[in-house]
Amino acid sequence: MNTKDEVVTIFVPAAAEYVDLARLALYGIACKMGFSYEEIEDMKVALSEACNNAVLHAYGDLPDGASVIAAAQEPRVEIRFIKQADALSIVVKDDGTSFDAAAAARRAESMHGKSITDIEAGGLGLYLMQALMDQVEVLSGEGTQVMMTKRLTKSGEWA
Amino acid sequence: MVMKAPDKFYLRTENQEGRCTVYVNGELDLESASQMRAAMATLVELTDRELVLNLRELRYIDSTGIGILVSVLKARHAKEAPFIVEAIPPNIRKLFDMTGITPFLTGTATS
Repeated sequence: MNTKDEVVTIFVPAAAEYVDLARLALYGIACKMGFSYEEIEDMKVALSEACNNAVLHAYGDLPDGASVIAAAQEPRVEIRFIKQADALSIVVKDDGTSFDAAAAARRAESMHGKSITDIEAGGLGLYLMQALMDQVEVLSGEGTQVMMTKRLTKSGEWA
Repeated sequence: MVMKAPDKFYLRTENQEGRCTVYVNGELDLESASQMRAAMATLVELTDRELVLNLRELRYIDSTGIGILVSVLKARHAKEAPFIVEAIPPNIRKLFDMTGITPFLTGTATS
């Protein structure tokens, strides 16, 4: 059996109207691998959250007084699907400059146990990514890279 | 033959006595968020009636959409005006439960 990973990479412009295209690509790939409808729905949300962050931070949250250097090319987001025998890993990579995603990942939180005056939307995206995938790693450096993995649990196929 | 994709996202508002119901259709994500936010900005001000979001035809939501619901919840709470979310599909309900927003939407939160 060939256990070599197969990789599918797509690049999309860093814009909101392309996030659903990433979801469509994921749907096709995950379907072929044998993921269930519910697992695919989970991954669609997790992938979208990563893409949303990439789109929102593509142009950088520049501090006051910082000089704006024109990008050499339009910002885009790289989405890499790594098909393994028993799992699908998805890497979302952007070239945004100033978002400290690793710090944000530590702040990821839900609304459980809070009052209506204390709840807020911040941190929900990363919280959902962590809750919906088996593993999530966030790397910040030149841009941000999020790698998330969902294991394939094929029912009734254990020989 | 011309094949047209269904609208990705649209809202339909129905006004009755004392009640304004907004039917949310399609995918509420980063792309449709501004449309939703704009519509809600006007509707949260209507404190003389119940604001109801009907999610029966909502196919997709992520933290962008849930964030808008949080804003509406807080705005209505501050104005002491009723806000109700109804007909939540199971896949959407799962995300509401995960994030912890469900008790606020169904009126079972403690405060």
